[in-house]
Amino acid sequence: MTTHYLVLSALLFSIGAVGVLVRRNAIVVFMCVELMLNACNLAFVTFARQHGNLDGQIIAFFVMVVAAAEVVVGLAIIVTIFRTRRSASVDDANLLKY
Amino acid sequence: MGGYFGSYALVVALFAIGVAVVAGALFLNRMLRPTRLTPDKLLTYECGVDPVGEGWAQSQVRYYVFTYLYVVFAVDAVFLFPWATVYAAPGFGMTTLVEMFLFLGFIALGIVYAWRKRVLAWT
Amino acid sequence: MNNTFQAPTIEYGQLAPLLLVFGAAVVGVLIEAFAPRYLRKSFQVPLTFVSLLGAFALILVQVFVSGVPTAPAAMGAVAVDGPSLFIWGVILILAAVSVLLITDDDHFVPQAAAVPGSAEEDDALAEGAAHTEVYPLVLFAVGGMLLFAASNDLLMMFVALEVMSLPLYLLCGLARRRRLLSQEASVKYFLLGAFSSGFFLYGMALIYGFAGTVDLAGISRALGTVSGQDPLLLIGTALLGVGLLFKIGAAPFQAWKPDVYQGAPTPITALMASGTLVAAFGALLRVFWVALGNLDWDWRPVMWGVAILTMVLGAILAITQTDIKRMLAYSSIAHAGFLLVGVIATGDARQNADALSGILFYLLVYGITTVGAFAVVTVVRDAGGEAGHLSRWAGLGKRAPALAGVFAFFLLAFAGIPLTSGFFGKYAVFAAAATGGALPLVIVGVVSSAVAAFFYVRVIVLMFFSEPAADGPTIAVPSMGTAAVVTVAAAATVVLGVFPEPVLRLADQAASTLFIR
Repeated sequence: MTTHYLVLSALLFSIGAVGVLVRRNAIVVFMCVELMLNACNLAFVTFARQHGNLDGQIIAFFVMVVAAAEVVVGLAIIVTIFRTRRSASVDDANLLKY
Repeated sequence: MGGYFGSYALVVALFAIGVAVVAGALFLNRMLRPTRLTPDKLLTYECGVDPVGEGWAQSQVRYYVFTYLYVVFAVDAVFLFPWATVYAAPGFGMTTLVEMFLFLGFIALGIVYAWRKRVLAWT
Repeated sequence: MNNTFQAPTIEYGQLAPLLLVFGAAVVGVLIEAFAPRYLRKSFQVPLTFVSLLGAFALILVQVFVSGVPTAPAAMGAVAVDGPSLFIWGVILILAAVSVLLITDDDHFVPQAAAVPGSAEEDDALAEGAAHTEVYPLVLFAVGGMLLFAASNDLLMMFVALEVMSLPLYLLCGLARRRRLLSQEASVKYFLLGAFSSGFFLYGMALIYGFAGTVDLAGISRALGTVSGQDPLLLIGTALLGVGLLFKIGAAPFQAWKPDVYQGAPTPITALMASGTLVAAFGALLRVFWVALGNLDWDWRPVMWGVAILTMVLGAILAITQTDIKRMLAYSSIAHAGFLLVGVIATGDARQNADALSGILFYLLVYGITTVGAFAVVTVVRDAGGEAGHLSRWAGLGKRAPALAGVFAFFLLAFAGIPLTSGFFGKYAVFAAAATGGALPLVIVGVVSSAVAAFFYVRVIVLMFFSEPAADGPTIAVPSMGTAAVVTVAAAATVVLGVFPEPVLRLADQAASTLFIR
């Protein structure tokens, strides 16, 4: 019975995606992205179980490592902009338009 | 509620009883005790010392760069786990060992860079 | 788990260009760590050029001495085939030319950690600090681009996508002037890029669920054998498509492009607008032609819509722009749309080869012209940095006729006027599309080219037929590097426009084998 896990993963992914679209704080937006990546991991592991091969589990490892690298780069960028503006709201980053 | 999930009903019931007992005791306490608030009683309790500043304190994240390093290197270690389960198996041998240390060497480069940039020193 | 283990075979010879670029990047990090500050740049610049040109030479050796490989390398993870080698060559040339622009120190912030406008920043400026980390970062990004375009399984593609993107996110935030804009561009690019790679990954997960493998050839095989799992496959394809279309900046995922192109340091914009686009098209073609080629009945209608929307949106929104870099960004969106027309033009093997050869040629000529145009942008300056606003460019033709002339020429090449390289690029793609049964798309493409030509010509008219402002921008004396970039780009645009035959033939040959599986 792997369907439950797939449904859970789809739910997590959707929560993450909606979070990215509606939240205002760059850090929260970013955490939502991480939630999406972890939803993908859950899906990979579930499918690996379903297909009976290990590819999915190895892919999950790679995704974790890439996500960690992304966290570090992302937080560094967000900290930089926070130090400049004293705000991490994505609404305040509004100099670039039209 | 039968079958597979049915066997968890007892766990749920026990959990509910636990919550009810604790919540009930606290609620009874609140009903029976007199409530007379004074400013002193509302102060944050800090081991008998007079509290300084607000209850909401922000700590300086002096260490955040270390945290970044830690996140990357700790997570990179996941590759060691699948490797560790097989490297002693027949057919893998020395090459596998060397390859892993090559990988670790590349990661160590990052630490060397951070060290030379004086990230690891207390400022 | 069974214990019959076969050691993987890695074809180091075929992967040599990749390894050289990544190796040079690692050495670059070591130089940053150990070389004294005043020597770093004089180590980094030669290292960067030697690795990029060396990788290019290795490609030539591969093509002319060893021959184009006919099987994927590294256990099927990387496909070094004709199109890959051509795309690698294009990326390396464009990267080398962009690095010439990057060697101008004054595009980059002296100390990224210093808050803009603070005393720290002034100190860093005064002591002449510089982030020579830019060079290893660029090499990592270029290595990622090479791998992205050649990856033959989705996992490799995802890793390459991140290796390419992460350094670019950082590089975007390093502009010396207008640092707030630059940092904002960096945050936006990062958040949207991470969002889109989430989609890519979930699409990959669903396709893995469908096929049981992430190998492109394996997915293609599974299309014929697995049944009853269509929702997984279709949703997976859609999500994968979102991730890839985001990277090429196709509508409706184009919103990041103008902001990022405007805010990023101009040499980095040049690298992104040329190299990233080329690499992303390589990956897009590989996924949709190799893995999902037999599913074309399902993805083609959507791609039609995306291509039309991209061309029209890019061309129309470009008209309303008042900033030169934003205008070039929208023009880049429109060009991505033109290239998508080629992606749709699939058919039998002959037809595919024609379309592919058109796309390859287009990528080359568009990339070179783009780098040249951004090089010109770096030279026209105001007190606060580059003169971005279009009104500042008024009368430039009278103050600096040669520079304005070259820029006008680049714009004409973007518009696809005959005798410029852009004409043959567009012609090759549209001709392939017309024979591939996408005539309506070609008509939309030609109409939006005409609309696009309008705003290119508008800039030219502005430059040559209006009075220069009294306090107009100064024309910085271009450094050797910048001058070389402008010259090379202009020469390539002329030569490929007048005498495109050899390169077209090369693209034909590269495309003739199609993608190996």
